[in-house]
Amino acid sequence: MSTRVLTKFDLQVPKDIPEALDVLDNYKDTITPVAGGSDMMVAWKLGLESGNAMSVTALPGLDYLTYDDNEGLRIGALATIDQLLKSDIVKEKYPALWEAAEVFATHQIKNTATLVGNCLRASPAGDGSAAAYALGATLTFVSKEGERQEHIDNLFTGYAQTSRKPNELATEITIPAPKAGSKSAFWRVTRVNEDLAKLNVAAYLEMDGDTCTEARLVMGCVGPTLLRLPKCEALLKGSKVDEATLEAVANTVNDEITPIDDKRSTAEYRRSVAPVFLKRTILKALS
Amino acid sequence: MSHHTINLTINGMPQTVTVEGNETLLEVLREKVDQTDVKYGCGTGECGACTVLVEDNKPINSCLTLAATMDGRSITTVAGLAKGHDLHPVQQAFVEDFAVQCGYCTPGMVLKSVALLSENPEPSEEEIRHYLEGNICRCTGYTKIVTAVQNASKNMVQYAGGDAA
Amino acid sequence: MSEFKTVGKSEIRIDVKGKATGRTEYAADLKMKGMLHAYLVRCFDHAHANITKLDMSEAAKEPGVVKVVGPKDVTDKIYNQSVIDVMVPPSQVEPLGDIEDQNIFAVDRVKHYGEAVCAIIATSEAAAEHAAKKVIVEYEPLPVYLNAEQASQEDAVQFDPRKPGNLAFELPEVMFPNKTMGWGDVDAAFAEADVIVEDDLYTSKQKQCQMEPNSYIALYDDEGRLNCWTSTQMPKCVHTKLADIFDLPMSRVKLIQTTVGGGFGARLGMVLEPHICALALAMPGHPIKVQSPREEDWLTSPSRHPGDWKVKLGFKKDGTPVAAQASFASYKGAYYLDGSGVAACAGAWLQAVYNWENLAYQGRTYFTNQPVCGAYRGYGNPQQTFVMESMIDRALAELDLDPVEWRKKWHKNVGDGTWFPGVKYSSVAIDPCLEQGSAAIGWKEKRAKYANQTGTKRRGVGVGMTTHTSGAFPMLLEHTVCSLKLNEDASANLTFACSDIGQGSHTALRQIAAEALDFPTDDISLNTSDGDITGFDIGAHASRTLYVGGGAVIEAVNDAKRQVFERAAKLLEANPEDLELKDKQVFVKGSPSKSVSLKDMLHKSVFNYDATAETGPNFAEGQIEGYSSYNPKHCSPPWAATFIEVEVDMETGEYELIEMVNTHDIGRSINPAIVEGQMEGGAQHGLGMALSEELYFDEDGKVLNNGFTDYKMLGPSDLPKMTNIIVEEPDPFGPYGAKSVGETGLCTPLGAVANAIFNASGVQVTDLPITPEKLLKAIKEKEAAEKAAA
Repeated sequence: MSTRVLTKFDLQVPKDIPEALDVLDNYKDTITPVAGGSDMMVAWKLGLESGNAMSVTALPGLDYLTYDDNEGLRIGALATIDQLLKSDIVKEKYPALWEAAEVFATHQIKNTATLVGNCLRASPAGDGSAAAYALGATLTFVSKEGERQEHIDNLFTGYAQTSRKPNELATEITIPAPKAGSKSAFWRVTRVNEDLAKLNVAAYLEMDGDTCTEARLVMGCVGPTLLRLPKCEALLKGSKVDEATLEAVANTVNDEITPIDDKRSTAEYRRSVAPVFLKRTILKALS
Repeated sequence: MSHHTINLTINGMPQTVTVEGNETLLEVLREKVDQTDVKYGCGTGECGACTVLVEDNKPINSCLTLAATMDGRSITTVAGLAKGHDLHPVQQAFVEDFAVQCGYCTPGMVLKSVALLSENPEPSEEEIRHYLEGNICRCTGYTKIVTAVQNASKNMVQYAGGDAA
Repeated sequence: MSEFKTVGKSEIRIDVKGKATGRTEYAADLKMKGMLHAYLVRCFDHAHANITKLDMSEAAKEPGVVKVVGPKDVTDKIYNQSVIDVMVPPSQVEPLGDIEDQNIFAVDRVKHYGEAVCAIIATSEAAAEHAAKKVIVEYEPLPVYLNAEQASQEDAVQFDPRKPGNLAFELPEVMFPNKTMGWGDVDAAFAEADVIVEDDLYTSKQKQCQMEPNSYIALYDDEGRLNCWTSTQMPKCVHTKLADIFDLPMSRVKLIQTTVGGGFGARLGMVLEPHICALALAMPGHPIKVQSPREEDWLTSPSRHPGDWKVKLGFKKDGTPVAAQASFASYKGAYYLDGSGVAACAGAWLQAVYNWENLAYQGRTYFTNQPVCGAYRGYGNPQQTFVMESMIDRALAELDLDPVEWRKKWHKNVGDGTWFPGVKYSSVAIDPCLEQGSAAIGWKEKRAKYANQTGTKRRGVGVGMTTHTSGAFPMLLEHTVCSLKLNEDASANLTFACSDIGQGSHTALRQIAAEALDFPTDDISLNTSDGDITGFDIGAHASRTLYVGGGAVIEAVNDAKRQVFERAAKLLEANPEDLELKDKQVFVKGSPSKSVSLKDMLHKSVFNYDATAETGPNFAEGQIEGYSSYNPKHCSPPWAATFIEVEVDMETGEYELIEMVNTHDIGRSINPAIVEGQMEGGAQHGLGMALSEELYFDEDGKVLNNGFTDYKMLGPSDLPKMTNIIVEEPDPFGPYGAKSVGETGLCTPLGAVANAIFNASGVQVTDLPITPEKLLKAIKEKEAAEKAAA
């Protein structure tokens, strides 16, 4: 295969969810559901992935992006990154997600890529998924057996692996309504501006005045999956977020990450700058 | 191996094509309906040479799009912008401002610029530079492309009311 | 009021409307009846291996496959894919040691990742590619050599018996005593120097990444002619080579140059023309098309020569440059191509810039198991600009001398030696460049302001400067043929093979013709792509097209004018030497009222059927065609300087490009917007080479980043605002005083950005590309050293 010609595979384009679930039941782990499919198409062309494809683009009514104070933000499986970027609600209430959408790939890709898809690819460098992880999102899976919710804390099971069962279709990702005093931010580091991340950080904090009451910190590109930073979070929770706390957090992050040398950067560099960018992201969230 | 018959509207013209499941929109456009103005540049959605506009002037990478998923869709390619010798204001600006050298990136770059001005009729220089990421030019250093988009914006705002594409 | 009609005007380019509408076709867009599709099967398993088995029989049975073609099915003629060897004077070939060492398909051994082993011809591209998976190739791996040190080991497997020690080239003793380019005695000079700076540096394997991937069509037609459609930069030289490879007279080969979607040196020769022609010969009557996937471009067309530098510079306290000693051990890749080129030229450029009292340069290139290296815009100059400008600024920092003032004082001048021995500078206007450029960026104020920064974000300004050439005279053959047909309506057709590879040369050359004829540019049309029609031209390289092509155009116009004046002289009863052509009127200089219409004359020259009873039929004097077979007399090197301001983040090693000023000593800009386009476009390449671009390998020689995902170029939001300052002091030799601009603008940003980062951070990164990883490491090492010292 090459970037010009895809290997032969079956392409299913179901017209409704029951049909989609039938397809998944039949093909099981030999088929990958794709929405925008931008990441999977590259993987197929380069021979990094194989198998059949089920496009969900013909499934009706999955492109919604809605918000209310009870249910929070509901993002359908076909809602694009561009929709997130254009949403004032997302910009105002979920800054980390909006900032991730802003730097997400290119506009061509933003117009077809989805947050659900980004999470299901489970790249350790995912931008949208890092933000969703910090914001404590929940995915909804449907299958012939019924429907279930999966909190994002349990979603990433390994490098490019998730807890989605082969016969399950993700239909939605939701993020709770922001609590009073909650803040979030996203930062990423690249080689050139238009690039995959070599390090990214998503920070979510609940603040009571100067004091942090809850923290969810996510760092990407420093392990086989996106990583939560529980030790760093523990240093923030219940503390005043001042220079001393931030120093302590910065000095702890290297205990929680396992960066490697790869095409985009080195383990040495990532360890050098992880403290710096973690601090800067927390400060960005609070500003 | 699946066959899919799809209906497309390309530059306003209806086309019905039968495509394989693994065929990209780029291949179908270039080989099956002779829209060779849409270019192959990298096949991985990074250079933007394959850019086409779908509804609402939204740009997508045709090299990463499975043609069979595009049934019922409307597509604009660069060839659909000019009317005979009357160039679209973006094309005219590219010509006048020396934003074209070897020309290979130009179809995608023009469409991307049309998309930008559709969404943001008076972008700042920074907004232009960021929006154009995903379209690679190796000849111009982008300086004159940015100028062309700025000038096209001025011309189009002057004639506000017309469709972008 | 300009003294010129069109020279100096940014006339709209003649090729851009078709490009903007998408109607202009490139090779990949051409479709022909009976067309078949080829896919080249490549070795993606090894960078160095003997081929022990090649079995195409299963692939041949696959649906849609028409033919499988392996090394035994094509000519075993050995060739060299570069065409620079066509331009080297025959007497130099032996001393230089140039060789031909390539086969169409690897015969016994693959020497780099991605080398072609056979081909599939099928009814569709998909069928050809799917069938390729059924080709069975078996290999016996060999040791892999990825740099000069490894390749030159005593027991290393030899790439070619003619090149012991895998040393593809070094400066020949017969041309350079002690295999060293230079003068004086550097050792003695170093002994007397007040300040010496010395270091090892590395310049990287950069790839042109022109936007048009490599696509070709060939057809062995019913008349027995081998037709080849290619976007090569060098159509006539490629024509010569194809005829030679396939043992055909030139008349049986027809080369059609398709629209070139960028070259930058990647197309300075052949890429897949031999392959596609071999396939066409295997399937007579069928056009065969190959569309090489992007990822193969890094593997097949030549990249820049990377390599290891050693630089030692000596100065007196007052900045006098007393000694420069440098060596460049470049990596050739797997095949020779222009092996004697870059290693020698890097030294040629190096010694051309400043008045070093003593200088010694040694250049070598070693075979390595990597995709080939060849010409890339700059041709050794970007490499030397980076290393020399960096090291000079290191010394100047120690000497506390201003980098702009030092450069103004010590650059070469008119009458000094250029890059080629014996050729002296005809014009040098780098001082106005330096003055205007430094003023534009606010050099003095910023250097003062940024002198003692302590914060996390620190700014710096840097300058980089060099000279280059306009065409390769007298080192290489320089020759362009041009003809100009005057039509009966006083319009003209200009015919030449000079390539427009996107830079706008066709527009500029047409302007030159228009200026010389005093015609509106619209009255001149061009014939350029049909190899049967165009006369000889070397092709687009060495920044020659405007300078040499322009000279050829002027001579062809002058030849046409001479014929016009000869005929007009009879009508005006004057001497031809006293006549002038303006606004399509011919008249005696100083007496414009008594004139003859050019249009009438030309019309009559073709349509003279006014036979009268008295005179009988008059035979038309004949259509006038001007002709030139032009060799330039000089190479009028241009000069350039770039100024850059950067901001470095001392905690992360990241940097931001704040502003850039490019200045250029052009002699005369024929079309200023085109000149700017070259400066701006070159800067994007130069900055990329400095900051982010590099092709890299694993230890087995497998290419790791042949794709835009990991081969990163600077994009529109990475690049700073660019200001261009064009300095015009006409050159005595150039057409209307013009010199070249194509390559210098790529080189100067390398020095400028390295020096700006140095000015901002206090550290230098000596291995390209300058990444935040390397910069942060250097910053931390300096901080640690300062702490230890305190």
